[in-house]
Amino acid sequence: MSALRLAVRATTSTALTVVTLGTLVFLAGRALPSDPAALLLGEQASPAERAAVMHALRLDQPLHVQYAHFLGGLARLDFGDSLRKPGVSALSRALGALGPTAALALTAVAISTVLGVLLGLLVQGPWLGRGRAWLSAGIDVFAAVPLIAFAPLATYVLCLRLRWVPLPGDPEARLIGLLFASALLALPLGLQLSRFTRALLAGSERAQYLQVARSKGASETRTLLLHALPPMSGPLTVIVATQFGALLGGAAVLEKLFERRGLGTLLIEAYGARDLPVLEASVVLSGVLFAVVQGLGTLLQAALDPRVRA
Amino acid sequence: MKRWRLLPALALAALAVVGRACSGDATTLVPSRALGPPSWQHPLGFGEGGIDLLAAVGSGILGSLALAVFASAVGLVVGVLLGAFAGYRGGLAERALGRSLDTVQALPSFFVALALLTAVREPNRLHLALVFSATAWAPYARLAMAQTRVLRGAAFVEAARALGRSETSTVLVHVLPQLAPLATVQLGASAAAVVLGETGLSFLGFVALSGAPSLGRLLEQGVTTMLVAPHVLVAAAGAVLFTNAALLLATGGAGARAQ
Repeated sequence: MSALRLAVRATTSTALTVVTLGTLVFLAGRALPSDPAALLLGEQASPAERAAVMHALRLDQPLHVQYAHFLGGLARLDFGDSLRKPGVSALSRALGALGPTAALALTAVAISTVLGVLLGLLVQGPWLGRGRAWLSAGIDVFAAVPLIAFAPLATYVLCLRLRWVPLPGDPEARLIGLLFASALLALPLGLQLSRFTRALLAGSERAQYLQVARSKGASETRTLLLHALPPMSGPLTVIVATQFGALLGGAAVLEKLFERRGLGTLLIEAYGARDLPVLEASVVLSGVLFAVVQGLGTLLQAALDPRVRA
Repeated sequence: MKRWRLLPALALAALAVVGRACSGDATTLVPSRALGPPSWQHPLGFGEGGIDLLAAVGSGILGSLALAVFASAVGLVVGVLLGAFAGYRGGLAERALGRSLDTVQALPSFFVALALLTAVREPNRLHLALVFSATAWAPYARLAMAQTRVLRGAAFVEAARALGRSETSTVLVHVLPQLAPLATVQLGASAAAVVLGETGLSFLGFVALSGAPSLGRLLEQGVTTMLVAPHVLVAAAGAVLFTNAALLLATGGAGARAQ
């Protein structure tokens, strides 16, 4: 299908995801029996203070009016001011926290893509000989290791025991800290990606275009790198984009582990303080980030793979 | 199904029960022995406040397993039924379910869980179970729909209809048993994902502190005491790793795509 139709489709699905996520947060904050003002101010607040908060959050108006206002704000990406820091818009707080998280996530994507493709090639290619089976088994075992258990152990061993890497939470660590954290995040995703790469490459083993290349005298290396790998770029892009959701969740865990200030820590803070505008802004912004990456992945796949466009 | 696959999961559950029983209460605080190292009487040592780590890890594992099994079971029943009926009916039902599956699976489940948890003042295990069930049904529905679409044209289905069985009865009696193998594989992957999701949420501090600590909170303790008491981290991380592996192995889910 044409580029325009694809772009429209990608935009619609992005918008749908964002609106759904936003609606969920909206409903969770308002429609359920718990009293938001009490959650926010605590039990000791006076009725006047509670009324003020209810009015500020527009909670004294009927639900559909609130929702209409929320949707309008969503379109403009305006969630109101933060309740914890009056005068600072919720969106600006969320955007400020987005930087470190995006840096971590994008670096991790880069590392995991390289790692995944490399490992997949090594398993399928002729270079390792007998070792391929071991590598394959190792990948299968380690791909299932969860980040949340693995990252603290790796940090303990590498940073505190062996002292090879500085603790990423250390302000002096900067780039090395970012690289270490991204590498930890990239490991499970890269291993999963390598399994997909291996499956894709194995699937196209018997393809005619590869036979043609080999019969023209191309070495196995050349066949793999120049002829087998490029058609995989489309599906691989989609898979990487899909993994981004796991990245955002993992980034929150890593931010807590390494005490980096980012979207994850802002979310926790806003949740603890029941700062509804900031909570909404962070969740929606994460959803936007996630959906945009998915959309870009689809568009990139179409750009790389003419078979999808047809 | 190979019986030996269940062994790690059953061994895990047994160990957890035994550990919990032998070491008494996981919530007793004895500050004098806080963060004490492992010994023969207490193989895992002590955590913050002097809680016995063996008991704590045992209750944590049992709690996570119970939550995972509950959420996955609910997801399986709801998802398979929805998927099978939509796949059998075809047409509008199938398209509608497909679209809603796209939307549900496009949402990052971490944030869905977060969004839903903001509604509650003090989230506890039951809230978590409901929250995870809300997204757990999607993979099952997709599997069931795809498989039912294939089975729709099968001879035995046609025969059942010809013999006078109603649509509902045909799906329930003839189609569902065919879906069992696929659903079982997904069960392990699903349950493992729920365990990890719950651990992640409590690690980040979204679950109430009442009662025995969950694996996530133990992991958090381990991280904060990494320098002085590494055994806490090793115990908690090891528990999470082993639970995850046992669940994936139990149903051969390691080969399947996790949620």
